[in-house]
Amino acid sequence: MILYLLRRLFLLAFVFIALSILAFSLGYLFPGNTLQNFTGLTDISAELATQLTAEYRLDSGYIQQYIAYLQRIFSGDWGLSFASKQPLLQEIKILLPATLELAAYALLVSFFVGIPLGIIAAIKPEGIISRIISALAIAGYSIPVFWWALLLIMLFSLGLGWLPTAGRIGVLYEIPHVTGFMLADILLANSQHQAEALLNALRHMLLPTVVLATFPTTVMIRFTRDSMLDVWEQSYIKTARAKGLNRVQVLYRHALRNALLPVIRQIGLQFSTLITLAMITEVIFSWPGIGRWLIDSIYQRNYPAIQAGLLVISTLVISVNMLTEILHTLFNPLARKR
Amino acid sequence: MARFRLLPDEQQARSPLLLLWREFARQHSAMSGLVLFMLFFLLAVLSPLLTPHDPYLQNDTLLLIAPSWSEQGLVQYPFGTDDLGRDMFSRMLIGARYTFGIALITVIGALLIGLLLGVLAGMSKGVKSSIFNHVLDLALTIPSLLLAIIIVAILGPGLLNTLWAIMLALLPQFVHSIRNAIAEQLNQDYVTAYRLDGASNWQVLTRLILPNIWERLTVTATMALSTAILDIAALGFLGLGAQAPTAEWGAIIADSLDLIYVAPVGVALPGLLIFTAVLSVNLVGDGLRNAMKKRREN
Amino acid sequence: MNVSFGQIILPAPGRRFLPLCLATLLGACQPQLPETVRSGLVYCSEGSPESFNPQLVTSGTTIDAISQQLYDRLLDIDPQSGELKPLLATQWQVNDNGTVYEFTLRPDVQFHQTEYFSPSRAFNSEDVVFTFNRIMEKNHPFHYQGGGNYPFFQSVDWANLVERVVATSNNTVRFELSRPDSSFLSNLATDFAAILSAEYGAAVLEQGQPGRIDSHPVGTGPFRFKEYQKDVLIRYYRHKTYWRELAKPEQLVFDIVPNNARRMAKLFTHECDVVAFPRVAELGLISQRPDVDVQESTSMNVGFWAFNTAKPPFDNAKVRLALAMAINREAILQAVYFGYATAANSVLPPTSWAYNAELPQLPFDQTQAKALLAEAGYANGFSMDIWAMPVQRLYNPNALKMAEMMQADLAQIGVRATIVSYEWNSFRRKLSNNEHDSVLIGWSADNADPDNFFRPLLSCSAAQTGTNRANWCDANFDRLISQALLTSDQKQRRSYYMAAQQYLAEQMPLLSIAHSQRFQALNSDISGIDINPYGGISLATAVKDVK
Repeated sequence: MILYLLRRLFLLAFVFIALSILAFSLGYLFPGNTLQNFTGLTDISAELATQLTAEYRLDSGYIQQYIAYLQRIFSGDWGLSFASKQPLLQEIKILLPATLELAAYALLVSFFVGIPLGIIAAIKPEGIISRIISALAIAGYSIPVFWWALLLIMLFSLGLGWLPTAGRIGVLYEIPHVTGFMLADILLANSQHQAEALLNALRHMLLPTVVLATFPTTVMIRFTRDSMLDVWEQSYIKTARAKGLNRVQVLYRHALRNALLPVIRQIGLQFSTLITLAMITEVIFSWPGIGRWLIDSIYQRNYPAIQAGLLVISTLVISVNMLTEILHTLFNPLARKR
Repeated sequence: MARFRLLPDEQQARSPLLLLWREFARQHSAMSGLVLFMLFFLLAVLSPLLTPHDPYLQNDTLLLIAPSWSEQGLVQYPFGTDDLGRDMFSRMLIGARYTFGIALITVIGALLIGLLLGVLAGMSKGVKSSIFNHVLDLALTIPSLLLAIIIVAILGPGLLNTLWAIMLALLPQFVHSIRNAIAEQLNQDYVTAYRLDGASNWQVLTRLILPNIWERLTVTATMALSTAILDIAALGFLGLGAQAPTAEWGAIIADSLDLIYVAPVGVALPGLLIFTAVLSVNLVGDGLRNAMKKRREN
Repeated sequence: MNVSFGQIILPAPGRRFLPLCLATLLGACQPQLPETVRSGLVYCSEGSPESFNPQLVTSGTTIDAISQQLYDRLLDIDPQSGELKPLLATQWQVNDNGTVYEFTLRPDVQFHQTEYFSPSRAFNSEDVVFTFNRIMEKNHPFHYQGGGNYPFFQSVDWANLVERVVATSNNTVRFELSRPDSSFLSNLATDFAAILSAEYGAAVLEQGQPGRIDSHPVGTGPFRFKEYQKDVLIRYYRHKTYWRELAKPEQLVFDIVPNNARRMAKLFTHECDVVAFPRVAELGLISQRPDVDVQESTSMNVGFWAFNTAKPPFDNAKVRLALAMAINREAILQAVYFGYATAANSVLPPTSWAYNAELPQLPFDQTQAKALLAEAGYANGFSMDIWAMPVQRLYNPNALKMAEMMQADLAQIGVRATIVSYEWNSFRRKLSNNEHDSVLIGWSADNADPDNFFRPLLSCSAAQTGTNRANWCDANFDRLISQALLTSDQKQRRSYYMAAQQYLAEQMPLLSIAHSQRFQALNSDISGIDINPYGGISLATAVKDVK
């Protein structure tokens, strides 16, 4: 196990180095002035340019430059955004929780809706309920997320006028940024009108969460169903059935546990998909998260921001992936051998 | 060199392909998916011949005509016109070329390159291959759309860049699937036997492995195709893919979004088309997978 | 962090409402809202401001968001008559030569009390001197803060016009001009001439953060600055010691929504109380809804297509004329403005007193355009860029659509056009660097003086500061518009402007396309907002009728 962990960690380190090399080389790959791409300063005077070139080691070889880049990343000097002239790290710190919050709720929904539906669909695979669930799953799997979001907005916001279309909370509520997670921030803000603010935030949250949860939920349904059906075919289940246990008992004691183990692995895989879909969802619902920020940065040709955004998102995705894989292995000794 | 006939199914009267088709045809959903898929394919190939109007011709006198099912509509413009007087129906038809056709080309390209790399990875052994495999596994965990967005950020927006980006983004899953399939095949007894008879790597590959893995490749390709269609449309919608006035479905939605109250058709229809196209591909893919499973069970 | 659970548990009235509200989560549920939310006003604007100092900017987006909310000017323009009214200056006198202006200032005007600054004194002549010296004097501590560019003031040649600004007493100020200028007072009344606080300037200088003067503003206006999240929102609160009637909304939020459809959606869901620039295509639809109103007014503006005249082949007047003739402006008026605009024949709107009505109409004639191109040596056409601004502005509701139409028109005469667009702020930055071949943009007047259309748009000084999108510098034209300023005789000025318009029609540095009406859509429970035909919008008088 320790050997396994070491190998994983070694791999993780290797990937992060590869990632940082990519992020570093973006400074050269992007159009425009390399010094500007690294610093985020748009008008650099001649003397400042020489000073910065020395500081960023742009006059020495690529390896020294890369080392200087790594040092800056670790010391928290990520450069400035072209658009806002603010330090990037600070902007990301504000934006990232919004994305994580949305993704977390969607992930929860996908578990609590997807897994039970998947199990139901697996109990009687040829039954009518199971067929309906499967049909819904494949539809949800095929629907373009941006179109789905627009349909829901048209129906619930514009048609019925029930839910707001954009943002995390009504703009008139001033919630100080503490943790970056809206619900937590509302509870921390010692205001007289927490209940109203909370309600307002929940109403803002409903549609984006539903939209974002759709794809992972359908994946969970399909995955749980297939996994259950597979387990159902295993000899130990047949044995248990032969011993006279009824369906529910078998399901609960033997099948579920074994079928849900691979689901842990799914968290990691779903998380990366979620982050991508969150980018589109954020754009449509004007959710002030890192995805919308990254896409705006692409429009604005804000190269330092793209560079930083990619680094953060890829690191996040890969870390979560690796973590769930390790957890999965921890629970499932069989996987270690592979 | 004498021809060796080692495939176990060889002597049976019914070929595996026929078996597969029977199992596939038994599923209604898969068949309807296939019909839709063929329709989209034909549309992508033939759409320039089918369009009643030039999809890029602006007609100042016919702005924002309602679809023909409403009272203000015209029969000549079944889906109405957009705010520049372009025929929506023709734009939808031609859009099949961009969204569906380009996705198809992307997948075929990724498949071919993936085949090359997958074979190299699958047939080689040692530390090099181990590192390659691990890196591949990680590249797999990054979703294709995110990879595509990264690549578009470097290359700049545009339909052609989108094509390259998605092709690159799809590559890891092809390489992965091909490599695994090959590794599985290499462990089979009949491969060892063939090798003992003095067959070279190339012969093993072309005579045994490829014929045995193509079905799996098809399933991978259908999954990749649905991803590719969604990604092209999403990039088009975000304004990072096809640029105006290209009639790509995602881009049309983005374009029509401004007029969503006046002409909701411009948002509803292209979305429905994307949805149907992806659905057809997924139905075919699911059908194939089920058919393969059933064949194995029989 | 010291948070006990007692704080997290909801306060009593809230607890009573919460279950009730959760039950009606989907429906509209409005329990007793806090005052800041209830009387708060949400204005959905189309873009982020570039700065919080009006001196530094030209874009209407920024002016709308900051100028009249945060600041006051010395003079105001009457929206009906277009005449000057006292604001921070109670009265003014001019000497006979028209070169010395003396202003008496209003007493007891308080600056904003904010989290970052507490004023110790009321507004006085020192603030006026501080404000205008920043623009004129290169050794002023703030002159180069924010780049040292004062686009509007440079375009009216302020630094050469005004020789000195002197505080003659605590409440009187004297402007000494180098030559008479009939547009001087009008320029002081524009939204750009906002009065800053000298005391705040000294404070930020002492803190070593001079940049804060433009990012954390302090003014005398009806609202004070609270927070700004780029691309998300600007939050203002009521200025409690405002010298005029206090602002009606206790809180004012500018919700930044660049997408037109989304802005409309937010109006319909009542997330916005007022939206800037509703889509003209949807005006019919809005008027059908009982909960939403549309306000309309004529406005002094022009949408145009400017050629970068410093770049070949656009340095050739024949090429410019040919390109202009190839455009079907009538079609644009229908497709882009949906008929809610008048066709433009000059940069000046027909409502201006200096408008040249005898100007011949530019024909839409692609054969002649082709011939002109051939004459200029481009018989086979050429490739060019059309830059289309990404946001909706008064003068151009949809530049991208317009560009697509022009692209098709230009293809008829063999010119291959590519459409270029960036995010608004990068767009303006790149435009100021003159990276474009041609651009679709426009201008809204800041005051009633015709000079406001000519000098900021087409003069040599404007070409240097980057507001001259045609990058056009022509000695003849500059002479005409300068001479017009030296006299205050309206007849004489008019003849100069007529000649200038005639000259523009021949040279065609830009093709004027349309003068648009100004629209504003608001929820029907909002009242008290008027559209000002000149420049920015004031939201201090908006009343929300709470049900």
